[in-house]
Amino acid sequence: MNNFGKLAAFVILLYVLQTSFFSLIAYHGISPDFMLLLTVSFAFLRGMEQGTLMGFSTGLLTDLATGTFFGIHAFTYLLMGNLCGRFANRIYKDQFFLPVFASLGVTALNYFILALLMVLLGYRFNPISNVQATLLPMLIYQLAFAYPVHYWTYKLDKNISSNETN
Amino acid sequence: MSNHVRKDKEDGRKGWAMAFVVVSLFCIIFFAARGRFQAPVSSQSVSLVLSPFQQGVSWISDELRHVTEAVWEMATLYEQNKMLRNEVEQLRGINLQANEALAENERLRNMIGYKQSAHQFDMVAARVIGRESDTWSRMIVIDRGTMSGIANDMPVVTPQGLVGRVVEAGLNSSKVQLILDPRSSVGTIVQRAQSRVTGIVQGDMDNPTMPQMVNIPKNADVVEGDVIVTSGFGGVYPKGIIVGLVSSLKNDAGGLLKIGVLEAAVDFQKLEDVLVITASREAPPEPIKPPQQTPGTETDPVTGEKIDDKKAEGQQ
Repeated sequence: MNNFGKLAAFVILLYVLQTSFFSLIAYHGISPDFMLLLTVSFAFLRGMEQGTLMGFSTGLLTDLATGTFFGIHAFTYLLMGNLCGRFANRIYKDQFFLPVFASLGVTALNYFILALLMVLLGYRFNPISNVQATLLPMLIYQLAFAYPVHYWTYKLDKNISSNETN
Repeated sequence: MSNHVRKDKEDGRKGWAMAFVVVSLFCIIFFAARGRFQAPVSSQSVSLVLSPFQQGVSWISDELRHVTEAVWEMATLYEQNKMLRNEVEQLRGINLQANEALAENERLRNMIGYKQSAHQFDMVAARVIGRESDTWSRMIVIDRGTMSGIANDMPVVTPQGLVGRVVEAGLNSSKVQLILDPRSSVGTIVQRAQSRVTGIVQGDMDNPTMPQMVNIPKNADVVEGDVIVTSGFGGVYPKGIIVGLVSSLKNDAGGLLKIGVLEAAVDFQKLEDVLVITASREAPPEPIKPPQQTPGTETDPVTGEKIDDKKAEGQQ
């Protein structure tokens, strides 16, 4: 399997697990967002360009597959991939601490951009109760799953890099 | 020097490309939200590719859930048995009263000549194979599509009550918008005979598990515990499907209306199997007939003018 095939299979596997398996442990309909975690990890490992592309791809997949507001995830994940990719050459790839904890900040930033888009689309909500009901459980899930997702992305990245050098 | 200039040029080009993509996406979000942009073909092809995987993983997770539930039930069997015995005793008493009420109801119906409209639905059973983890919308994916006769806007229910409607029917899977989604709106009515207040049930972004019944006049007769059912207005949802119970009431920000916070009849957290209503055959209303008129005093039912004898004979 070539590198693109491996990446596509990994993205689909994570997406299917997120929507069909981890929804079992969903709290009030909220479950971990593997697509965002993958975008963050991939961007930290591969840089700005590939991180942006990964963010756009995973976001578009989410928008197309679930029928949510079309384009919102493609938009926010692209921004998150771009942002995290800017730090790729400043951290060691073997260092897991920053990508794992950065995923918390990225989840919160992603949430606030989405909230702003919702307001611009005309939806009104109470920011405090919405943060309590949706952002806090989401952050806990992201913290719990950031390490395993980053670990597998790191393994995949190593595999891809070795194929590229050969 | 020339390398440096070329690199700057490349960076500039990439920056412009990025800005173009970001602005385009921003515009697409707003066009799509207002229904002016759709990507149906790509959306259906993504669903077509993903649904076999989702079905497989969903089957595994269902099996896992059944095993854990079985273990838990075995652990709590004794307590459950005791509770069920108590419940049987209570239900026996209630059953006696219900039989009595049923007989009385039948008698009264016969007395007033009321014919109950027959709600008959054609349903297709489907399994939930995917759920969205998004915080802003509530959608599920089911394992039936156009091949099983599913089409857009078909209502989705469970024996407990209303789930939502099909928004995108693919070949072998469909996306269902739950009534908890903020974009969903369901025409509803209070089931209580003394009330019959109408309202619209929408998803609430602040409380993703409890939808809201909005547009209730402030002095309307709606109380906590009222059962809310679909009103049949709007043509998507058939009349009489249970949506939920009024859990609490609060005032609207405008002050003229109130909002009912509903406890949904369906437990969306444990949604495994659903039924899609593919056809509903409600008894059509009987055509309005003019009342019988006394011979010699006939009047035109439209204009109200008196009809002369010859015309009346002709009409008869």
